[in-house]
Amino acid sequence: MISFGLEEEQAMIQETVRKFAVENLRPKLREFEHARALPESLRRQFHELGLALVDVPEALGGQGASLTTAAIVQEELAFGDPGAAIALWSPHLFVQAVLALGDEAQQKRFLARFAETAGALRSGAVAYSERGAPLDGFNTTAKRSGGDWILDGKKAFVVNGGVADLTVVFAQLEGTSGWDGAAAFVVEAGNPGLQAGERHALLGLDTVHAAEIVLESCRVPDANRLLGGSNSPKESNFLLGSQRMFARGGLLNAARQVGLARAAYEFALDYTQERKAFGKVIAHFQSIAFTLAEMHMDVEAARWMVWRAAVELEKGKVETVYEAIAHANEAAWRVADNGVQLLGGAGYIRDYPVEKWMRDTKALALFGPPSECASLAVAARELGHSFGSGLPSSAIQPFFT
Amino acid sequence: MIDFELTSTQAQVKEFAHQFAKSVVRPMSLEADRNHRIPDDFMLRLSQMRQMMTVGEVPQEYGGEGAGVGEIKDKKGKSQKNRFALIGAEEMAWGDISVLLSLPGPGLGGPPVQFTGTPAQRERFFGVFKKEGLHWGAYGLTEPGAGSDVAGIRTSCRKEGKEWVLNGRKCFITNGGRADWVVIFATLDPTQGRAAHRAFVVEKGTPGFYCGKIEDKMGIRASETAELVLEDCRVPEENLLGGEEHYARGKEGFMAAMKTFDSSRPMVGVLGLGIARGAYEYARDFVKENYVLGRAIPRYQLLAQTLADDKRLLDAARLMCWRAAWMADEGVPNAKESSMAKAYAAKAAMKVCTDAVQILGAHGLEQHQFVEKWYRDIKVFDIFEGTGQIQRIVISKRILKEAPNF
Repeated sequence: MISFGLEEEQAMIQETVRKFAVENLRPKLREFEHARALPESLRRQFHELGLALVDVPEALGGQGASLTTAAIVQEELAFGDPGAAIALWSPHLFVQAVLALGDEAQQKRFLARFAETAGALRSGAVAYSERGAPLDGFNTTAKRSGGDWILDGKKAFVVNGGVADLTVVFAQLEGTSGWDGAAAFVVEAGNPGLQAGERHALLGLDTVHAAEIVLESCRVPDANRLLGGSNSPKESNFLLGSQRMFARGGLLNAARQVGLARAAYEFALDYTQERKAFGKVIAHFQSIAFTLAEMHMDVEAARWMVWRAAVELEKGKVETVYEAIAHANEAAWRVADNGVQLLGGAGYIRDYPVEKWMRDTKALALFGPPSECASLAVAARELGHSFGSGLPSSAIQPFFT
Repeated sequence: MIDFELTSTQAQVKEFAHQFAKSVVRPMSLEADRNHRIPDDFMLRLSQMRQMMTVGEVPQEYGGEGAGVGEIKDKKGKSQKNRFALIGAEEMAWGDISVLLSLPGPGLGGPPVQFTGTPAQRERFFGVFKKEGLHWGAYGLTEPGAGSDVAGIRTSCRKEGKEWVLNGRKCFITNGGRADWVVIFATLDPTQGRAAHRAFVVEKGTPGFYCGKIEDKMGIRASETAELVLEDCRVPEENLLGGEEHYARGKEGFMAAMKTFDSSRPMVGVLGLGIARGAYEYARDFVKENYVLGRAIPRYQLLAQTLADDKRLLDAARLMCWRAAWMADEGVPNAKESSMAKAYAAKAAMKVCTDAVQILGAHGLEQHQFVEKWYRDIKVFDIFEGTGQIQRIVISKRILKEAPNF
């Protein structure tokens, strides 16, 4: 049934996170950016809200809420500060990877620690990207050695890279190419083969710790290989699990774009009703007022696209996620740009947050699959190509071969 | 609950409307456009199908089809009428917009008679549609000097004995020439604003009431758009909509005019995107047949990108319209959301139809290719029921703390 109404519990969660974001994130977003990290006290405080694992099954220490609820949480956090939205959810990428790719025993083994009180300061990572990786596969290799695996390679853009308690590393099985030969392994902190590389200095979202990691003869036991919920490589659902993981990650990132856009819109809405020129507040000039109206429409439309994709993804349909990603990226960019524009010179200086959002939105847009890939994936389906595995790279394959 | 899946009844309505639009309406669309006219026998068949339509305009107690399937309540006993209406309308517009605008029935004149009319007036004016043959109602608000600026209407009314005397001109009235009756808005005194407005039902054949020219338009050519002239036109006092007492409270007459728009804006939004979806699908299939099959398509990334952008724009516009309709069904005021839905959908639909012509290239200019027609049809969606600019005024007034004086 077509319905846009929040459940009572969702509304409560939304209210709680909004309050947390307005009181604790927005006033300090510059501090976080300068420190390039969140204070430990804030991470503990967020942990106490019990929302770090909101969409994780209750049996695994989470709240068992829907993906839509998780999207609502991310919109609200990003409304406070997009960088904090990611940094506060520090275990989340890892947790989602293990939920999508791990079997029951692995989920129990790897996830319990994040739910504990001491888990507040723990983080997880997913090492996927590489500089100069092939379109469809990885340069990082995994090779058998007795009962173990030896990983070698260099990963880039890893959130919490080198500081995480646990890291999922994607690699290419020796002698294979393409996604069919891709695999993932959990590497624990303290493994001598895993070294932290250089931390990236970012255009936006610098609150987030994003770094290279280096794997040098990194030995991991076979029990740490994630096979897509199965424990036999032959029955692996690895591709399907990866698709689910990327889709969820991309969708929640789109929800952050909505929160960021709403922040920029509301800030400009308030500012333009204070700032006077030619004898009246500038919001009362049509060109300003109409821009505000456009921003409002952009924010709302993007939110409905994200909600629809969340609902559909939970029903197992991945297609609309790519629409939502492309739509939210474009809308957020336009709104953030207008946010700076409506503040004029004030928007360009760091006394106001709008210039930060304009930088952050670009970072967010590159955090999930790029809009171009998302759009081409949509077009591939519309033009009757197979959607492939639905992974960012293989979905666009028809356009390059 | 947050959900966007159609109920099984809604899915059936959509499927039925789509099949009808595809097999009956679309095939006569180009011819009707060329002839500026939809054949009468086709209209008769359509009017027999009225009760099958998703949401009726004539209430059941007056012999109409009622709200049809739109009356089906959701699990919590709430109406889904507005959502149902959008689902069926999108498919019909996909078939042909002029056919939909020409459907026999009270049209935009329905809501003011329904909401403002006295029981006797509802009986009389809705009763018309019980009769054999083709019957229309119409809505006469716009004037050469007052469109979106409703408060600026100049058509005058004055009471003489038991009659009202109307003088003025109305323009761009859909089905105005053939309507059995038209709801005409007039003013007692142009300097008194909204409180001086009165709404009348003027019947065809009333002395002093006649149809001027039928407009020759860029698009929606098979839809009749008429100029109406009132010259010392005398209507009985029984035709004052709502009766004298209705206007004792001041701005009511004006509010009756506006009531039509809050419910019609999301509807107009989905009509536009129904057309645009047709154009999008046409262009997509053209690309598929002419460029893609059997060939590698690295050179067609730009087309693919355009199609993907258009697909998601249409989906986003539909969600905006559904949101406004959902609010209406929930009984929540939705004036801002209705305006946003209409403005967003019109803009999206314009882009999509323009892209469709571009994708077909020179073929897009050919009259038998449909997209040429949709390119002409779609422009009116940025204009009627409040231009895009007017919608932005409505939206900005509702997001700003104090009303701006633009």
